[in-house]
Amino acid sequence: MMLARVADSLYWIGRYVERAEHICRLSDVMLTATLDRSEAATQVARIALAAIGHADADTIKNPYQAAVALVFDREEPGSISSSLAAARENARQVRDQITTETWERLNLIYLRMNDPRTAGTFADGSQAFLHETIADLHLFKGAADATMSHGEGWRFLMLGVHLERAQLIGGLLEVCFGDGRRKPLSDHFALTSLLRMGCALEPYLRVYTADMQPSYILEFLLLDEEFPRSIRFCTARIQEHLSSIARHADSVGRSGPDRLAGRLRARLQFADMDEIEAQGPSVFLGAVLDDCAAIHRALHETFVAYPLEERLPA
Amino acid sequence: MAEAVERNVAPLPYDEMRDHDGDVRAHYAALQARLNSLGADELAERQRTLERFFLLQGITFTVYGAESTTERIIPTDLLPRIIPAAEWDRIEKGLTQRLQALNMFLADIYSEQQILMDGVVPRELVLSAPSFRREMQNLYVPHKAYANVCGSDLIRQPDGAFAVLEDNLRVPSGVSYMLANREASKRVFPGTFRGAGVRSVDRYPDLLLATLKSMAAEWRPNPQVVVLTPGVYNSAYFEHAYLARLMGAPLVEGRDLVVHDNMVYMRTTTGLRRIDVIYRRVDDDFIDPLTFRRDSGLGAAGLFNAYRAGNVVICNAPGTGVADDKAVYAYVPDIIRYYLGEDAILPNIETFLCREPAQLAHVLANLDKLVVKAVGASGGYGMLVGPHSTKAQQDEFAQALRADPDNYIAQPTIQLSTAPCLIDSAIDSRHVDLRPFILSGEKISVTPGALTRVALRKGSLVVNSSQGGGSKDTWVLADGKELSP
Repeated sequence: MMLARVADSLYWIGRYVERAEHICRLSDVMLTATLDRSEAATQVARIALAAIGHADADTIKNPYQAAVALVFDREEPGSISSSLAAARENARQVRDQITTETWERLNLIYLRMNDPRTAGTFADGSQAFLHETIADLHLFKGAADATMSHGEGWRFLMLGVHLERAQLIGGLLEVCFGDGRRKPLSDHFALTSLLRMGCALEPYLRVYTADMQPSYILEFLLLDEEFPRSIRFCTARIQEHLSSIARHADSVGRSGPDRLAGRLRARLQFADMDEIEAQGPSVFLGAVLDDCAAIHRALHETFVAYPLEERLPA
Repeated sequence: MAEAVERNVAPLPYDEMRDHDGDVRAHYAALQARLNSLGADELAERQRTLERFFLLQGITFTVYGAESTTERIIPTDLLPRIIPAAEWDRIEKGLTQRLQALNMFLADIYSEQQILMDGVVPRELVLSAPSFRREMQNLYVPHKAYANVCGSDLIRQPDGAFAVLEDNLRVPSGVSYMLANREASKRVFPGTFRGAGVRSVDRYPDLLLATLKSMAAEWRPNPQVVVLTPGVYNSAYFEHAYLARLMGAPLVEGRDLVVHDNMVYMRTTTGLRRIDVIYRRVDDDFIDPLTFRRDSGLGAAGLFNAYRAGNVVICNAPGTGVADDKAVYAYVPDIIRYYLGEDAILPNIETFLCREPAQLAHVLANLDKLVVKAVGASGGYGMLVGPHSTKAQQDEFAQALRADPDNYIAQPTIQLSTAPCLIDSAIDSRHVDLRPFILSGEKISVTPGALTRVALRKGSLVVNSSQGGGSKDTWVLADGKELSP
């Protein structure tokens, strides 16, 4: 049992934190890639920026400026700074529900992001700064995992993390493999950069060796069972969290999100790579992203903004 | 101060650490020895550790600026204020007696009004006070515990005796600082702390929960307790979340509450769940738009009716403010004598009621010496500190006093005691007061600790955090364990 508003806030903390981490990683890969001036580097910048909807020609020409905006711009709702502020604001609202250890990690990241000296730190070593921020976000998730009870509240937090992650990786894959592309991604540098954006390079190498094949990469980020950033892995967690929450809510089977998550999990679990490629990855990715959006809506309708009339005591 | 030309020389303030000869008092000796062994750098370093602790914990308030929004911590002083066992014993007895009498007073004025009929307290003073809530008339309050949480402000007078400056019976705050300051001091001064025999304040959340539960125990064996906060933008939000977390009670906002059939529920992920006790940190005016202020979105519509129906308990009870009204304050010693047949253990500060013509005349003639307070105001606002005021300010107050004498009281300017503080890496003394917290439900308990508020500006007597005040940890020593060097 927990307050509906609190569950909603925990869910959003998960989403915002995951979003901030993803943008950090995209920015980091983009900045590292564009230290070289090459066609491939520009392509990497284009992928990174397109994945977050900022791929206009001017922005691509100025990756450093783009990164500064992605990190600091509070006017931009998707920036790291905005996401962290929103996560921390939500955490303040549910301060009684998260452990001090978890709160401290998030608060620390927030305070550093808002320190007047941070712009200078970023200018001195952007990648180091982004690295450290990612590491701190891992500490936050680690503290949540290690110190919070893995009950309903933690489930909502993790639900936010995994749903956001599935959507972000889905968006990235659409940019690289969707119908919008004029020609298939083939450059070795661009492919390794894509894996880095998904934090997947090392795990990929262990499975597929250094053989950079676009279809292997798609398969890995989409369907790998064990890699924590593959969409399949995320959907399995989403379904687990939801069925656990539904057990708490005593609404197994009757609630929308539970059923939707089970269907999505099965879609990924029993997917066939040949079929996906035959019909074009866009079709499959589109269906997955639609399901994610539907779960998000159903979650809100079932646990947070449910109509009171149905729940009043007789 | 030009002492030579003044005939009535104000006595020197009492210093918590040193006696009039400048010798360190016995209970401060160990701390003094520790301070002597630490250099200025070391002290500054510890002060930074302390501030970092508060910042990291999020014990902050937000400052909204034009350029950016920053977070500030409430200024916290490194050096503890120490109270020996015997002095605390008297404080504890005095506060218990006082709250017992005030609860009896509230029970009386909201039922028979015997004390008004007997003319001990003027009837119109009570009935015309804005904090008097007619809606509370004849409403059953378990254990007659109206003010479940009370924070009284004590000051130490030049002769060393503690007196009560003000009672806070509405929604007193600051207890989280008592707890957080203690946590911080254990980190910063572990060595000194260990040997000192300091009494623990850790049980406060536990006792608070027990007190709240005792208010519903007659009809619910295991009542659901919640903390009601105005929300994250309230300046005391940290405290609301802190207490909720330490009690394991949900922290709810008005928008989480639903009243149906005179029952109060909260919206949970699994539907509506009944609430039995609300520790509300929302003022009377805002708890129920149907009964009190209509424009309030901070409470829940229908809450007061559910309370009247006996289906939920609101703590503190609405209408307790009438007993901490600055004019009623003057009568507290009489109130204690009336109900308990005892003299007040902790004295009041001499108070002039401007509603009495003779007293008004005295106040007007002595504006440069007195502290004048508006009855309805709090937080250090609406106040004239005579000796620190200009002629223009005095004239302004004189006019206000004549226009609306009922609204003002005056007290002599009391030299609050001073305690050593770390100011810019050096030890200097500042004026302090003392706010202990008293819980009352089935029984009354005083937590052996307090919030010591500090007037950080040199010479200032105003300790309110809204007016440049800070706080420090307060060590109450266990019996027979005075700090030894």
